[in-house]
Amino acid sequence: MRAPLLLLVVTYGIALIGFVLIPGVNEVGKSIHLTFFQAFYILSYTATTIGFGEIPYPFTNDQRLWMTFSIYLTVVAWFYAIGTIISLFQDPALKQAVTAANFKRAVEQLHEPFYLICGYGETGSELVRALDKNELRVVVVEINQERIHELGMTDYQFNVPNLCADAKNPEILLSAGLRNPMCQGVAALTDDDHANLAIAVAVKLIKPELRMLARVENDVVAANMASFGTDHIINPYKIFGEHLAMEINSLGTYLLHQWLTSVPGDVVKTPSAVPKGNWIVCGYGRFGKAVVKSLKQENLKIRIIEADPKGTQCEECVVGSGVEAHVLQEAGIDDAVGIVAGTDNDINNLSIVMTALELNPNLFVVIRKNRRLNEPLFAHFNADITMQPSDIIAHACLSYMVSPMLAAFLNLSRMQSNSWANAVIARLVMAVGEQAPDTWGVRILPTHASAICQLLEQGHDIRLHHLTMNPANGEEHLAIVPIMMVRNDEKILLPDLNMEVQQGDRFLCCGLDTAKSTQNFLLNDIRNMSYLVTGVELPETFIGRLLLNQKSK
Amino acid sequence: MNLEKVIFGFFIILAMTLNFGFFVGDIDNPNHHLHYELYVAIVVNLIATILKFGDRTQIGAIHLATSLVADIQLIAAAIIWAAAGDNGANPEVIVGVVSLSGGAFLANITSVVLLIYETVTLRR
Repeated sequence: MRAPLLLLVVTYGIALIGFVLIPGVNEVGKSIHLTFFQAFYILSYTATTIGFGEIPYPFTNDQRLWMTFSIYLTVVAWFYAIGTIISLFQDPALKQAVTAANFKRAVEQLHEPFYLICGYGETGSELVRALDKNELRVVVVEINQERIHELGMTDYQFNVPNLCADAKNPEILLSAGLRNPMCQGVAALTDDDHANLAIAVAVKLIKPELRMLARVENDVVAANMASFGTDHIINPYKIFGEHLAMEINSLGTYLLHQWLTSVPGDVVKTPSAVPKGNWIVCGYGRFGKAVVKSLKQENLKIRIIEADPKGTQCEECVVGSGVEAHVLQEAGIDDAVGIVAGTDNDINNLSIVMTALELNPNLFVVIRKNRRLNEPLFAHFNADITMQPSDIIAHACLSYMVSPMLAAFLNLSRMQSNSWANAVIARLVMAVGEQAPDTWGVRILPTHASAICQLLEQGHDIRLHHLTMNPANGEEHLAIVPIMMVRNDEKILLPDLNMEVQQGDRFLCCGLDTAKSTQNFLLNDIRNMSYLVTGVELPETFIGRLLLNQKSK
Repeated sequence: MNLEKVIFGFFIILAMTLNFGFFVGDIDNPNHHLHYELYVAIVVNLIATILKFGDRTQIGAIHLATSLVADIQLIAAAIIWAAAGDNGANPEVIVGVVSLSGGAFLANITSVVLLIYETVTLRR
């Protein structure tokens, strides 16, 4: 940096003094000297290769000689200086420092609650999309620059501060807002269990009260995470097993689950009914074990096909990979109702089901997809159930992040009957249509619903249906269904609309995005709310209020 | 002996002496103030400034600050002189130019004092 600047000053110094010292002639032939300012002016446009010409008078030969020399001297110095300065700005270290500083500032300027997502892979991107649709802010740390570019190209409604860095480094987590009071929780979603563990440990040591979600596939690592107090340990295979059991047992509950954890606005595919009977499970790895466990709970007969029975501790199985017809026949493919292709190789999985369908075309097919790369193959194949770890993890995270009440609701709903779940779905479809709704929590607190609290203090009787009224038309209701109420730790599913509202109540609501924003406005707008509750419009002006007071006296 | 220190000291002291040479004389008499000397003072001051770049110590920062002060005042003086054009020899113009260079001279003295202080406290 110093050398080019010094060269510039020295070359200018030499060239400039030459122009001042060498005499020129004016139009009447009188000898004159250029002033310092004139010389500087001429040199400035010459050195930067602009070149206005010889002013104020045409140069003499002596001056032209000096000009020739100056051009080579100063132009070369300029190029050298500019080249150095530009390469300085393109220095990768400097660029990285600037990016990191910008990221830190962007996170500090987030004055809304946000979640920190570590790992923007398939899972991370799906989760960020869902949170963005739910109007929750996120901060992303991802180690792979390509994924960061992809994030930059994706169109989110909110700005997503992102940094390409290793989230295992606690410094990075701190700069990503771990200590920021607005940070609601951290989700470690990288595809490396140990990285997720490192993040969980760092978070729990630095800020133990922060909610920590971690994806994990290995049971040992999961146990380790649990010992550090990780709040939600998400094992995609376990969750898939549970979902499969739910699908077999009570389809309605499963659909309700899918509905509430999907990205708002997405259309949820109606799941197919899983037949009961003999099942064949190919591959007894982590996935196979989870599936077998949940199928056994439903009292289904299972035959396992596994190539390496010792390595997977499979006691009773047909040895083979499952791609050969005779192995499938040995496992009883002819009288089976369903097959689960659960090896960790996509091509093998596809091959297994193709062979199996040739032998028995009526099979119900559950297939495990390992790599997103093979998406077109699976889309073309169109199995009855395709297990996609990234979506499962993302939707599980979402249920914890959208509102703590949602996870509680989903847990409670599993204990309800299938017909109950179907009734809930019917009610939701009537209110919001076929698309997955937004889900959000409402708190009756002066900070969150000032109008309601004010009216409650004035002694008005407020019912739940007041919270879903449409201000544009008092007769109609907004597209909102309150699906759970929490009062003093007591949880009430599908509360009655005539229920009294008290201060401190919390509600879990489902509905359209537009209804959500209208409701949020209403809860804090005393004039509209009081009109909806009492049917009397409050005076807006000082004089109006004065008159009202007079009248009441 | 360190060549870098020699160059550093040379330019800083030269900047001050040239500045003084231009400044000294009757404040309103153009004959006492050589415009070539102002020019050389500006060039040497700029070089001294650049030489001070990149020193992250506290004293380095003050060093750079003094040089920047001197640069600004000397360049302001040159601009006044250039803007005055044919009136450059008028007493009101020359008074402004010389008084500005006087301010720059003070900054240069500070710079030299810092240089001497640094040298004296150097324990080797």
